[in-house]
Amino acid sequence: MNFDFTDEQEQLRDAVRKWVDKSYTFDRRRSIEATGGFSKEAFDELNALGLGGLIIDEAFDGLGMGPVEAMVVMEELGRGIVLEPYTQTLIASGILTNYASDDIKKEWLPKIASSEAFVVLAYQERSARYRLEQCAAQASKSTASGDSYALNAIKSMVPAGDHTSAWIVPAMLDGRMALFLVERDAEGVKAVAYGTQNGGRAAELSMSNTPAVLLTKDGLSALEWGVDIGIAATCAEAVGAMDKLVALTVEYMNTRKQFGVNISSFQALRHRMADIKMQLELARSMSYYATLKVNAPAAERRAAMARAKYQLGLSMRFVGQQTVQLHGGIGVTDEYAGSHYFKHLTQLEMTFGDTLHHLALVSNNMQETAGVFA
Amino acid sequence: MDLAFTPEEQQFREDVRTWVRAHLPADIAHKVRNSLTLTRDDMQNWAKILGKKGWLGHAWPKQFGGPGWNAIQKHLFEEECALACAPRIVPFGPVMVAPVIMSFGSAEQQQKYLPGIASGEVWWSQGYSEPGSGSDLASVKCKAERVGNHYLVNGQKTWTTLGQYGEWIFCLVRTSNEGKPQTGISFLLIDMKSKGVSVRPIKLLDGECEVNEVWFDNVEVPVENLIGEENKGWTYAKHLLSHERTNIADVNRSKRELERLKRIAKAEGIWEDNRFRDEIAKLEVDVIALEMMVLRVLSAEKSGKNSLDVAGLLKIRGSEIQQRYAELMMLAAGPFAVPLIREAMEAGWQGDQMFTGNAGFPGGAAHCAPLASTYFNLRKTTIYGGSNEVQRNIIAQTVLG
Repeated sequence: MNFDFTDEQEQLRDAVRKWVDKSYTFDRRRSIEATGGFSKEAFDELNALGLGGLIIDEAFDGLGMGPVEAMVVMEELGRGIVLEPYTQTLIASGILTNYASDDIKKEWLPKIASSEAFVVLAYQERSARYRLEQCAAQASKSTASGDSYALNAIKSMVPAGDHTSAWIVPAMLDGRMALFLVERDAEGVKAVAYGTQNGGRAAELSMSNTPAVLLTKDGLSALEWGVDIGIAATCAEAVGAMDKLVALTVEYMNTRKQFGVNISSFQALRHRMADIKMQLELARSMSYYATLKVNAPAAERRAAMARAKYQLGLSMRFVGQQTVQLHGGIGVTDEYAGSHYFKHLTQLEMTFGDTLHHLALVSNNMQETAGVFA
Repeated sequence: MDLAFTPEEQQFREDVRTWVRAHLPADIAHKVRNSLTLTRDDMQNWAKILGKKGWLGHAWPKQFGGPGWNAIQKHLFEEECALACAPRIVPFGPVMVAPVIMSFGSAEQQQKYLPGIASGEVWWSQGYSEPGSGSDLASVKCKAERVGNHYLVNGQKTWTTLGQYGEWIFCLVRTSNEGKPQTGISFLLIDMKSKGVSVRPIKLLDGECEVNEVWFDNVEVPVENLIGEENKGWTYAKHLLSHERTNIADVNRSKRELERLKRIAKAEGIWEDNRFRDEIAKLEVDVIALEMMVLRVLSAEKSGKNSLDVAGLLKIRGSEIQQRYAELMMLAAGPFAVPLIREAMEAGWQGDQMFTGNAGFPGGAAHCAPLASTYFNLRKTTIYGGSNEVQRNIIAQTVLG
């Protein structure tokens, strides 16, 4: 049992942090938001650090690293509230590695590792809310050739959905969920993009008799696996964002003067900060927990993610709301970075299941014993 | 990063588990499991059993006869004791005063006091708080005047937990009024059988006398009972508090009580109520998050890297969780938490003939008898050991400066 980072992990952290500090400034982020919420150039720079293949096996030209390294990267991207959805690279790498055939792995994983391809999970449907098992999209064996399928689907909120090379799409096949790979230029695909609350970009996808490659017929397990990688990554991203937001708030409280003194001298505000620190450390603890359970057996992993995302949801909302409050008027301006962290955190709470959703999962699956090792 | 304990740590846990389960008397475990009243003898019997094994001072270094365990081994020991339903170790001797005697006491003091603490023979109490000195502990007034080769002690201590059983008491006493309040305090060991010491139990809201007032009326205390130097007592007391790290979170006991809460909720037919079960689910996540925080501290202590200054967070969260499980247990019992039948909180009570056919308690559920009392009793957790508001001051100091 240890929670120390290795020297290599610290180096990875430093490399990402340097890029965020130097290259992903608040001004650049603002200009990306103003020009559509996704910068191919910024994403390429990020991938130039070697992150495309972070958790891809060395056999497929990746770095062969694991959940802890993914967490380290996500914390740093969170610190800079980076808009480009690197989480999706982790999800796609994870799904393809565990569920795709060797042929598909050989074709796609090296391309993801080299950042030639950007593959995104397109699973959200209007009527499903956060329920993964709910899927209206339909797949059928295409009449044209033996191994091809045709999809009819509408998927919402697909991150940077019109900048992708391909999507991983859940659809029902013979009454059971399967996952498919759909390429960007496939027939019958329409992607309509829009901005999101955090300044990023998403798209509405529609597919009409669109040719697709079957990834796995064990679709729900694969989707849960992908989403769980996403939950662990989101938890880490949130910790990084909260860390930075708290630091901004501390700095503000130690410079802003009212009644002739720094506002950090007022006990009501000091206690609020103590409560914020509590939520931050609980969140960090549960982010570690999520990361260290990513490779656990499915039922244990699912239970851990629900617990973690529940805690992170509470923490994100509290830290976001209260740091805005501690800033007073400046906290609700667009000009100030803090409000952008608040919006980013708010969006992360609603990503991969919000707090009430995960509370219900925890509540419905409680066992007699409980604890980190139960 | 790794969540798993090493094979050696697992083996250690197994060994401790086997020993604890073999040596913990069943009647004592039964009382702890069901929150029934523990007597002085129950507590001291267990202390002596541990003392004989050399584990009462389980955090002590080898040079003083302790097992010399590292932070993780100590945690595993505490966890196994809690899960086996062992009584909480009464901390005043082995956990609180002993480390001070080891660090600041003379060789003679160490030889005189430590063996009786290690064996569980001598019951120690804590004399810190006074009627006018709660959170503002440095304002203590209980006075010790040097007269020849003894101190003459006059004043009052209060909230002395289990002081009615105490044989010795360690006190913060005022030896000087010069300078800052902190610089005039001394750390004195007092034999409670001395002439002029009187103890009066304070009845608390649950009807029990868990704490006491202790008066000192011209009590003569030999100067050799002074720890370290005169007027340095505050420094020693702070050292003592720094030993209160992860154990203050009490997460192991909370895990056990969470399991009990689930059993009670099922027995009371409230488990299927989503609204109620969700409250248990929230508590479950709280407990796991606290345990992760404790594990982070243990890991940092073991490796010496990334020191984590979160003792205040652990205290706040741990105490809130203790209050919450007690609250939910009481609410689970609902109307049957209301009867106040003290005898039903004693082990072995059969209800005599009072409620024939109902297993000795209104509604037939004797497990409901102690729930409200425990709820009332545990309101203390956010007040003692530095109130949670004082803890917030300390946390804010580390974050904001």
